[in-house]
Amino acid sequence: MDTDGRIIFEVPEAHGRRLLLRLRPKKGLPEETLHVLELNSADEGRARAVLAADPVLTEGRWDVYLLDGFARTRLRPGPRDLRVLVDGHLRDRHAPLAVRVPYVTKDGFLAVRTWLRPAHAEVDRVDVTGGALTVSARLHGASLPAGAEVRLRLRRETGTVRTLEPLVGQDGRSFSFTVADETLDMGVWDMFVRPAPEAPMIRLARLLDDVADRKEVFVYPGATAAGIVVRPYYTVDNDLSLDVKRTG
Amino acid sequence: MKISFLLHNAYGIGGTITTTFNLAQALAERHEVEIVSVLRHRELPNFVLDPRVSLRPLVDLREEKEHPLHLRPARVFPRSEYRYGQYSELTDQRISEALAAIDADAVIGTRPGLNVHLAGQAPPHVARIGQEHLTLNNHSPRLRTALRRAYRGLDVLTTVTEADAGAYRRRMRLPGVRVEALPNSVPDPVLPAADGSAKVVVAAGRLVPVKRYDLLVEAFAAVAAEHPDWQLRIYGKGDEHDRLRQLITDLGLWNNVFLMGAAAPMEAEWVKGSIGAAASDFEPFGMTIVEAMRCGLPVVSTDCPHGPAEIIADGVDGRLVPVGDRDAMAAALLELVGDDELRRRMSRAALENARRFAPGPVVEQAERLITEAVSARRAGQPVVRNRRNTHLAARGFAARDTALVAASGALRIVRKGRP
Repeated sequence: MDTDGRIIFEVPEAHGRRLLLRLRPKKGLPEETLHVLELNSADEGRARAVLAADPVLTEGRWDVYLLDGFARTRLRPGPRDLRVLVDGHLRDRHAPLAVRVPYVTKDGFLAVRTWLRPAHAEVDRVDVTGGALTVSARLHGASLPAGAEVRLRLRRETGTVRTLEPLVGQDGRSFSFTVADETLDMGVWDMFVRPAPEAPMIRLARLLDDVADRKEVFVYPGATAAGIVVRPYYTVDNDLSLDVKRTG
Repeated sequence: MKISFLLHNAYGIGGTITTTFNLAQALAERHEVEIVSVLRHRELPNFVLDPRVSLRPLVDLREEKEHPLHLRPARVFPRSEYRYGQYSELTDQRISEALAAIDADAVIGTRPGLNVHLAGQAPPHVARIGQEHLTLNNHSPRLRTALRRAYRGLDVLTTVTEADAGAYRRRMRLPGVRVEALPNSVPDPVLPAADGSAKVVVAAGRLVPVKRYDLLVEAFAAVAAEHPDWQLRIYGKGDEHDRLRQLITDLGLWNNVFLMGAAAPMEAEWVKGSIGAAASDFEPFGMTIVEAMRCGLPVVSTDCPHGPAEIIADGVDGRLVPVGDRDAMAAALLELVGDDELRRRMSRAALENARRFAPGPVVEQAERLITEAVSARRAGQPVVRNRRNTHLAARGFAARDTALVAASGALRIVRKGRP
């Protein structure tokens, strides 16, 4: 991958063939979304296909195939040079954000994890001190005027919402907030920031580095107070949520 | 020539597997090469094997785990070997049959128990090359005694360090066996080397106590305190995982230290970092140190027996710190983290100095050893070089190991005798 966010796929020379990206359908459903890339000859008997930085892929997991007419061969990965992604959170992104991270599936095939968001709040540090939990984040593709809110939404039909006031940095992009609420209902709370009362909610997530599946790698302890544990965790989509449970 | 490797399990992850694949693939340029894997537990190896190297498993655990012979203890594979529990009458039988029917000119064993099979069971015309990826000092007296007897049936014994080759020559009496250090090789990296700018320290290996990732995490606490934008990434899996996770939590390092899971191959992960780290108490070779250096990372390592000091030039292409010394490890890491110029200079030196572990020179040496062993076998002569007589000293060590074994045996009898 390069710093412009392009992905360059290199395969052994493949005359007349193309590269197919297929959005992995939900279990039991037929595939619907395909994206085909041309392969061009490169040096030393190799061929290259370029996935440009523009936001053409919807959010999900894309499997990669070599396409020869209608025949497909699923590709296994060579080395994936993703070093430019490691400090990706330091570069400001514009709306909409197209994030792509090539990765290896559990069964050893090449795939690309994609996110496509109108705006994005990138989680930085999570600090836990006793019963309080402080999340630092940075907004991309939008800015935070005075009056911005952090909203926690209980993942249940009731749609219960708690509102917090973030501490916004001078640049209007960095912000942090502290959760120290002993009255949170048990369950999973999704976390958003809303720049203005009518503005769309922006999900808190951590997307801007090389880690495609963060759940088991970025693991936080819980904040414990008054009989409840509030533990932040990354979902399978690398979004940050709170898991609220009773202690013991 | 036709060359066969005898490997414990080609389908796992680890230094011996990587280095065996590397050597087999390099030899396949000019020879017919196969890997005989005693065990198999999954469809494909973790590392992609060059199609010119054939792979032949002997016992498929997916189907034969409950085989009646596999439930009975091994008799040829020595009881004192680390992996004894994974061997059985079935492996005894399959390995013996494979060796009896082998059509190779040379067979290369890759661990002590397999070398015992090789030394005792290869047909007379086949050259027998035993490789030790562990070290003599780390073997129990009982295993040393078993090997002292068995290894006389080898033509060549290779160790991965000079220090260990020295130990074998001094302490084992192996007349007619050529003992030589053959370092592990690491293929030329495909990706451009790391440029020293990433604020990432990388370590890799199985998460087991001897690797001392606990010490590394504790040392990194000092780095994170001074440089909160740096992270430590530990690649690998193992029984220590949960304990390390707890340590990271206890030290409040969850924003800086990450257990990344296993990655094979590691190359794309090394180049994301700018410093490599190894905190082991014991490292027979130190494959990951060479891998990191070949990707342009200076490595901070403990100066444990035997590998690191034969790989790293302290202060030139990395740092060597005393074993188990958290503060020294922290200081060495901090020195490199805090000095961009030093890091870049050491990075260039690491790239340059690690070239001696490229397949070229290592494979050349291996090829020469194999060729000489094969011609010596054909001529019915030993493959030894002239060297000074060390038999007397070796006899002393043998007596001591026997005494230690006898003593531990006596102790067991005493314990058993108790009600």
